[in-house]
Amino acid sequence: MARVLVIEDDRRTAAEIAAALGDHGFDVECAYTGRDGLLRATAEKYDAIVLDRMLPGDLDGLGILATLRTIRTETPVLILSALSAVDERVRGLRAGGDDYLTKPFESVELTARLDVLIRRHSMPQQETTLRVGDLQVDLLTRELRRAGRMVELLPREYRLLEYLMRHAGRVVTRTMLFEEVWGYHYDPQTNVIDVHIGRLRRKLEEGGEPQMIHTVRGSGYVLRAAE
Amino acid sequence: MSSVRLSDIPRTTGFRLALLFLGLGGAGAAILFGFLYVQTAGFLARDVDNGLAREIRVRAAMNATELARLMNDRAPLDPDNMRPFALFDRAANWMAGSRVTLPEPLPSPDQPFDFTLAHEGKAMPYRGVLHRLDTGEFFLAAEDVGPIQHFRHLLAAAMLSGGLVVLMIGLAGGMIVGAAALGRIDGVALAIERIINGNLSERLPLTRKGGDLNRLIRVVNRMVDEIERLMNEVKGVTDNIAHDLRTPLTRLLAGLERVRRRDPASEEYADAIDDAIVETRGLLATFNALLRIAEIEAGARRAGFKTLDLQPVITDVADFYEPMAERKGVSLVVDNEPASDGLLAGDPSLLFEAIGNLVDNAIKFTPPGGEVALRALRRGDRLGIEVSDTGPGIPEEERVAVLRRFHRVDKCRNAPGSGLGLSLVAAVAKLHGFDLAIEDAQPGCRVTLWHADIPGQDRRSDPQDSAPADETPPEPAARLA
Repeated sequence: MARVLVIEDDRRTAAEIAAALGDHGFDVECAYTGRDGLLRATAEKYDAIVLDRMLPGDLDGLGILATLRTIRTETPVLILSALSAVDERVRGLRAGGDDYLTKPFESVELTARLDVLIRRHSMPQQETTLRVGDLQVDLLTRELRRAGRMVELLPREYRLLEYLMRHAGRVVTRTMLFEEVWGYHYDPQTNVIDVHIGRLRRKLEEGGEPQMIHTVRGSGYVLRAAE
Repeated sequence: MSSVRLSDIPRTTGFRLALLFLGLGGAGAAILFGFLYVQTAGFLARDVDNGLAREIRVRAAMNATELARLMNDRAPLDPDNMRPFALFDRAANWMAGSRVTLPEPLPSPDQPFDFTLAHEGKAMPYRGVLHRLDTGEFFLAAEDVGPIQHFRHLLAAAMLSGGLVVLMIGLAGGMIVGAAALGRIDGVALAIERIINGNLSERLPLTRKGGDLNRLIRVVNRMVDEIERLMNEVKGVTDNIAHDLRTPLTRLLAGLERVRRRDPASEEYADAIDDAIVETRGLLATFNALLRIAEIEAGARRAGFKTLDLQPVITDVADFYEPMAERKGVSLVVDNEPASDGLLAGDPSLLFEAIGNLVDNAIKFTPPGGEVALRALRRGDRLGIEVSDTGPGIPEEERVAVLRRFHRVDKCRNAPGSGLGLSLVAAVAKLHGFDLAIEDAQPGCRVTLWHADIPGQDRRSDPQDSAPADETPPEPAARLA
C-alpha cells in the first residue's frame, strides 16, 4: 500500500484529503505545520507527498520543497494551492514540484494524479509493448491490435490510448488527458474530450468486442481489460 | 466655490511668491535710493565747500581793515544772512560783518565746519570756513545750508513714502494672487471631495485663466473618466455575477432541501447528491473562469510566455475540436495564408484556450452543413488569426457587448455556456497585444486577432500607421488593444 504524507495546516481540509486518499487505498499521514512536515518527510519513507503551498509560520510549502530537493529527497510532491495564478504553478514546478493542483479540487483529480506520480516514480518505462487484456500495442511501430485485429488510429488517438494503457485500471481525468495528449495546461471545461474518447471507443469495438474504456462519472475514464 | 479664508492666504504659493518678489524688488529699490541720496547730498555739500574755499582764496590777500569795510558794506545787502561774513580779532572776538558767535573750541582754520545761527528765533544750519590772516585776525566765510538740508529731508521723505506705497501695492497684489489661487484650489479640492464621496460623474472645474493648473486638471479629469468607466464595468460585472450565480445556487439549495424534507430512499439521495455536485462544479467553473479572466486582464500572467509560432497552435485547436464539428455536421477547415508562420511571444495554453473558445462558439452557432474556418494570417509584417463561420453572425450593436462578462446575445440565451468565453478571448488578446475585431462575414461571423507587434518597431506605436499602405488590414469593428 502506498504511503502518502499530507502537509496541510487546515485540519478539516487535511481530514478530507486523508479520507479521500484513504478511500482510494492509500496509507495516509498528516502533518499540520511546515516544520513537522519537513521532519517526517526527511525521517521516513513516503511514496508521495501532498504539500499545501501556503503554510503558516516561517516554513511554507515552497521552502519545504526546496529543502527536500536540496537534501536529495526525490519523493514525488504534488503541490496544492489556493493560488490559481499560472505564475504560481510555474514557480511551484520550478521549485521541484511534480504536479500542481488548485483548490478547490475534486478528490478524483487528486487521487488520479497521485497514482500517476507514484507509478511514474516507481516504474521506469522501458517496455516496447503494452498489453491490456486482448489489446496490444507495439510502442516502436505504433501498431495496435485488438484480439488479433489491426486497428488503425490517428496519431492523436494513438497517444490517448497509449496514455490510458499505461495507466490501465486507474482513473485518468479529462484534464490529465488533455495536458498529456495535447500538451496545454488548462481545464477545457467542454465535452470535446468525451467525443475524442467516443471515437477511440468505436474503433476499439468495431469488431463487436466488449467495452474497455469506461467513463467514471463526472471526472474521467478508466481502461480495463474486457471481462 | 467657497469664500476665501484670509488666514489661509499667507500659506498659498502665489502669495509667497509675490512676497518674495516684493522683498527682492524692495531691496533693489533701497540700494538705488541710498546711492542716489548719498551722491546728491555729497555733491551739494562739495559745491558749498568749493564756493567757501574760493571766497577764502579771494579775500585772503586783503588786510583786516579792508575786510572790515567790505563786510560792513555788504551786510545790509544780505538781510537773511544767506552768506554771512565776519571778522574776529586775535582773541576771536567779533569785529565786523555778520553777528556770528564762533563755536568753542575754535574750529581748525581752512577746514569746513558746521554750525548754527539763530535767525528770527530759529537755529539755522550753516557751513563755514575760518581763515587766519597773516596779522592774526580771523576771517569767517559761511553759507546757509538750510535749503540743502531741506532738500535732503525731502528726498529721504519721498523715497520712504514711495517705498511704503510699493510695499502696500506688493502686499495687496500678493493677497489678490493668493486669494485667487486659494479660490481655484478650493474649487478643485471641493470637487475632489465630492468624487471621493462617490459622485464619480463630478469633474474638476477648469478655471478661466488657470494655465498650468488647467493642464493638471485636464489630466486628472481624464483619470476620473477612466476610473468611472472601470467602476461602471465592475458594477456591471458584479450585477451579472450576482444574477448568474444565484440561479445555480437556488437550484442547489432547493435540491438539497427537497431530499432533506422527503427523507427518500438511498438511491434518490445519491441522485440528489450527484445533482448537487454537478451544480457545485458548475459554480466553481464559473468562479475559476472569472478569476482567470481577472488574472489575465491584470497582465500578471506572463510566466508562461515563450517564443512560439501561431500555426501549430491553430492546428492543435483544429485537431482538438474536429470531432465536435464532425458530430454536429459542420466542417472545420484550417486554411493558413502563405508565409503566415512567424514567431511571437505568447503563452501557448492561453492562446489555445482563446482560439479554442472562438472555435467552440463558431461550431455551436453554425447550423449543420456549414463551415468553420481557421486561418493564420499575414499582412505585411503583422501576424493574425481568423476564425470565421457560416452561422447567423453577431448583430453589429452586440459586437462590443459580447466581449463583456456574462453577456449573451438575446436569441442565444438558452444555448449552453457561461457567457465568459469571449471575455476570456478579449483578455488573452489584450495580454498578447492583439487587436480583436468582430465582423460580418456575409453570411456568418468573422473574428480576427491582429498582432500589434511589428518586428523592430516600438510596441506602443500604432500598427495601423506602420503597416504598408497597400496591405493594411481591414479596419476592425471593435478594437480592444
